Amino acid sequence: MKRSQREIRSVEEINEKIKRGDAVVLTAEEMIKLADSSGIKVAAKEVDVVTTGTFGAMCSSGVFLNFGHSDPPIKMTKCWLNDVPLYKGLAAVDGYLGATALSETQGFEYGGGHVIEDLVSGKEIELRAESYGTDCYPRRHIETVITIDDLNQAILVNPRNCYQKYDAATNSTDRVIYTYMGTLLPNYGNVSFSGAGQLNPLCKDWNYETIGIGTRIFLGGGVGYIIGEGTQHSPQSGFGTLMVRGDLKKMNSRYLRGASFYRYGVTLYVGVGIPIPIINENVASTAALRDDQITVNIRDYGVPSRPDLRPIVSRVTYADLRSGKVTIGDKEVPSSSLSSYKMAREISEVLKKWILEGRFFLTKPVEPLPRRREFKPLRIRRKELRVRDVMRREVITAKPDDEVKEVARKLVAKGIDHLPVIDRDGRLIGIVTSWDLAKAIANDRNVLSEIMTRKVITAREDESIDVVARRMAQHNISGLPVIDEAKQVSGIITTDDISRRLVGRRLTI
Amino acid sequence: MRVRLIYSPEVVEKPVLAEIIAKTGLLINILEAKVNAQKGELVVSIPSTGKRLEEILAMFREAGVRVQKVTKVLQIDYDRCTSCGACISPCPTRALRFGPDWTLEFDEEKCVACRTCVNACPVKAITLL
Ligand code: SF4
Ligand code: SF4
Repeated sequence: MKRSQREIRSVEEINEKIKRGDAVVLTAEEMIKLADSSGIKVAAKEVDVVTTGTFGAMCSSGVFLNFGHSDPPIKMTKCWLNDVPLYKGLAAVDGYLGATALSETQGFEYGGGHVIEDLVSGKEIELRAESYGTDCYPRRHIETVITIDDLNQAILVNPRNCYQKYDAATNSTDRVIYTYMGTLLPNYGNVSFSGAGQLNPLCKDWNYETIGIGTRIFLGGGVGYIIGEGTQHSPQSGFGTLMVRGDLKKMNSRYLRGASFYRYGVTLYVGVGIPIPIINENVASTAALRDDQITVNIRDYGVPSRPDLRPIVSRVTYADLRSGKVTIGDKEVPSSSLSSYKMAREISEVLKKWILEGRFFLTKPVEPLPRRREFKPLRIRRKELRVRDVMRREVITAKPDDEVKEVARKLVAKGIDHLPVIDRDGRLIGIVTSWDLAKAIANDRNVLSEIMTRKVITAREDESIDVVARRMAQHNISGLPVIDEAKQVSGIITTDDISRRLVGRRLTI
Repeated sequence: MRVRLIYSPEVVEKPVLAEIIAKTGLLINILEAKVNAQKGELVVSIPSTGKRLEEILAMFREAGVRVQKVTKVLQIDYDRCTSCGACISPCPTRALRFGPDWTLEFDEEKCVACRTCVNACPVKAITLL
């Protein structure tokens, strides 16, 4: 798509029409219908503004708060709202409350996102603060109750909102995993995705011709502004993001919801809507993009790697995802969203209404957003311990038809606790522990195949010790066979090996 | 009628369900199963009501299986629910889905009260009664 195009109308002209009450405003869904029936040229000519919307979990969100000074005053060095800690590396009574901060008493049940929702709904919030006391700020403790009306400022400033699109998630492992992409069932049991697709603001001005710094938007039910690119903005690959701000006092808790992801953490659902002025045909055509034209990858979250290294198992469109079923390999897998399409739609309708009623005017950006940005991973410069650095390579194994008593003797003689069981080709098929053997002898079982655990939790040589230690803790086990792609056992790693290696040091060498 | 059958270690290896199906000729459908060497739990749907249903439940009890009627239900608080969909694909029985206007819909008949959706909902809109 070409960038510079003949201008059909300017933002100023559109605002004149809004003032006169004769602007033509369509939601993105209506724009798609019009473009399908009459073509882009006609749609571009007729439509002044297309409204968009999205409503999803946006973890990089938070609010700057100013509490005002008490008498005697305090220079708060630590501060909590409903037991959720604020960032206090700011002036005496300024603080930043992040959406993912966890309550120190309720853990995953309540956090920054919930406090923001409670503030917006006008609820009373417990404020607690501490300080070391200075000559000018002598007070050292505060415990009181506030509502949003008591604050001088409550300004939502979200460093990263409104992802243009987002890769979907599935899980190849044999256990349920709980992620920021929701509950993922074992063996590709489901697919979870996020994003409003054809309603999503950054999909509707794909080339950033109208959206930029200073763009006025719908934010959390109130009015906000784009203040720059969001963190991890990566527009060249279709993963643009926005940094936004708005007055929390004028927002509505319908469009700002605290949320908890089971066994993951807390966040905030944020509603964002952006008006797209149809200044040329190019913008009209991206504003008419449909779900079936926006593709994303489905990635395997069962692999504990960084997001862009998780294996891609399928490539689909938002239309596929929204149909409720997608295919991975030859398997049909149910899919569902984490973000609300219904709310996204509602937001595009509300914004349309505001504009039609002459309550909301469009802005021309003061500066465009970058259209290229490098997206770098964090390089770990110190060498980290991997499984291969710690595992023991001389592994004693057994065969499924070995006798229990024989094997028990072997374990005692060698002083080991874990015995991988392999088949004739050396592939791992089970594991027995000294505990299993003791039980087997007591119950008169004779051969290993009767007692071995067939669902073996394993490790790979190149995995970091950190990840493997967590896996052992999670399954409450003390040793893992290390296997390669072909399921051949190349070693064994135990909690003892790890702690011996780590006495007095961190996970780096 | 949905019923949860709880097998103790003593009966877990006996083919209780198969025998009752054979004896009654009823199409008892297994909706959910968790079985291991120590115990077993099945949620089944028994296509029967009233006195006949009670007779069948009695047969299970006689065979040493504990019986709980799954009257559930699940309650969705539509003031909190955003119709995000996070509960839909994790549901093992497809009891949750979107309606035509993308509002969450719940099919009570299919639900086996497994709680998966309760945990999957980010805004705690679902409670199991
Ligand atoms: S409890 Fe929820 S997840 Fe489980 S069957 Fe019922 S609706 Fe589905
Ligand atoms: S996960 Fe919760 S909020 Fe989302 S659709 Fe289901 S019940 Fe509604």
